[in-house]
Amino acid sequence: MPKKPADKTTTTKTAKKPTAKKPTAKKPTANKKPGKKPTAKKAARPTLAQRADKHALYQTSVQSPGVDIEFFEAEFEKYRGRKPLRMREDFCGTALLSTEWCKTDPQRTALGVDLDAATLEWGRAHNLEPAGPDVARRVKLAQADVRETRFAKVDLTLAMNFSYCVFQTRDELQAYFNAAHAGLIRDGVLALEVYGGTESMSAMEEERPVRGGATYIWEQEKFSPIDHHTVCHISWRFRDDSVLERAFTYDWRLWTLPELRELLLAAGFKAVKFYFERVDGDEDDEYLTGTGDFIEHTEIDNQEAWLAYVVALK
Amino acid sequence: MPRSSAASKTKPPRTLAQQADRHALYERAVQDPEGDVKFFARTYRKIRGHDPVSMREDFCGTAALCAAWARSSPERIALGVDLSQDTMNWGIEHHLVPAGREVASRVTLLCEDVREVKRPKVDLTCALNFSYYCFKQRADLLDYFRAVYAGLNRDGVFLLDMLGGTEAIIEGTTDNDHTDFIYRWEQAKFDAFSHDFLCYIHFLFPDGSKIYRAYTYDWRLWMAPELRDLLLEAGFSKVHFYWEKTDTKGEGTGVFYEPDYVENQEIWWTYLAAER
Repeated sequence: MPKKPADKTTTTKTAKKPTAKKPTAKKPTANKKPGKKPTAKKAARPTLAQRADKHALYQTSVQSPGVDIEFFEAEFEKYRGRKPLRMREDFCGTALLSTEWCKTDPQRTALGVDLDAATLEWGRAHNLEPAGPDVARRVKLAQADVRETRFAKVDLTLAMNFSYCVFQTRDELQAYFNAAHAGLIRDGVLALEVYGGTESMSAMEEERPVRGGATYIWEQEKFSPIDHHTVCHISWRFRDDSVLERAFTYDWRLWTLPELRELLLAAGFKAVKFYFERVDGDEDDEYLTGTGDFIEHTEIDNQEAWLAYVVALK
Repeated sequence: MPRSSAASKTKPPRTLAQQADRHALYERAVQDPEGDVKFFARTYRKIRGHDPVSMREDFCGTAALCAAWARSSPERIALGVDLSQDTMNWGIEHHLVPAGREVASRVTLLCEDVREVKRPKVDLTCALNFSYYCFKQRADLLDYFRAVYAGLNRDGVFLLDMLGGTEAIIEGTTDNDHTDFIYRWEQAKFDAFSHDFLCYIHFLFPDGSKIYRAYTYDWRLWMAPELRDLLLEAGFSKVHFYWEKTDTKGEGTGVFYEPDYVENQEIWWTYLAAER
């Protein structure tokens, strides 16, 4: 049950739908809490959980930067008639997306912004350095609040993995969208991801196997219908039954589409577009190749679980 | 309902649907004015420490709640506001006239837009049966909440109900059997993009006849945090969210409390109270 395409590059024109990514499979790195230590006997051989690297697991389990890049560069070209070159990755974590962005074109530059120095450092060692000096040189990492506006303006800002949900009041999220608007060039584009559906509004847990033999566990510990506050965790279970429990924890407000639209328009964006992908079906299709269509919707029936890209045009 | 005489000779006997009065059915199916009066008075007293006297019912329709409010205590007065004079006339005939002159004299009905009414000021304003969902734009709902705020006494309280749960955000149909008719609630459309919510009430009768789409609602389903955000933005100082206690079988008990956290359910219908 491949949940994400094995994206090595975005040069292929084969469309890969974002279906591949479970909406529940994402997290922001800006707000992560340290993972609990795996429970294992001291004297025993280290378990797979003890030997695991949660950032590496995260990248293989839930990220697909190639899909994101391919989709957003096509969107940008559609509306702006040129290729985006300067990209900013908010809540960048290990900066995998920034690194992949710069690999796709020698003219491309990326700015990754995240609050967590240790995660950025991991990204330097595991993503930037292996990519070689030319790519690494074009990726700047900033340990900063994403609402920071002192950086050079970019064509495209990407905030993947629902990370903006750390902003739990309207004022906070408005301030972030205002800052994102200010950080774009005159005709820049901001893109976000959002998840929803009936299952997103309940406590639940789901598992799926990931590459390398581990099982990825997404846990919605809490969802409050009063304030849409949700607490979620990512854990992994391994072949030896050891568990890397709650390696990542998210304390979010689950924002709804009309709220996002209203806040983005209030921030000054001229148009807000939603691209839906159903995620509870087509699970056997790895690539869903063919049309390359990401259908823009102005109306959609609700489903158990869905993922949407939000594209806001300055 | 009288028909023209031309067809009367060949006309089949009147069906139960033809004989029915949709306002009467509606009241039986979805309203509980006496229960609301008790809950409102108790909630107001808890928040303010004294009894409310004046109550305004927005989107009052047949003004059943206004009538119940005025009947509940000799000093209580009620103001009903609705856009449909016909529906209010039905209420005058079926509630106010039977209640007697004294009670009726303490009820005023205004055929106006609820956003335009700011006087007389009242202790308590309520908007029930999700009628305010007709305001689909945030700015419009904010205007309405601001009007409510302006129309309240200094220690006024605004009470509204809302619908939620995982089954509120999908399409579906629920039947309630009232023996002599079935009340059918149909959620015909829920749009995740806009939260546009199209619903119907149908009444079905034992003889197979029905009043199809007796009521149509073209709404936006507002979520609890959106309402809280809007109420605070409109000037209200505090928003209370109530939750119905359930018995061991999971059935509602009619008793409401303020929870810190509750798990979402498939479907719930509850009250919010906003303090001016």
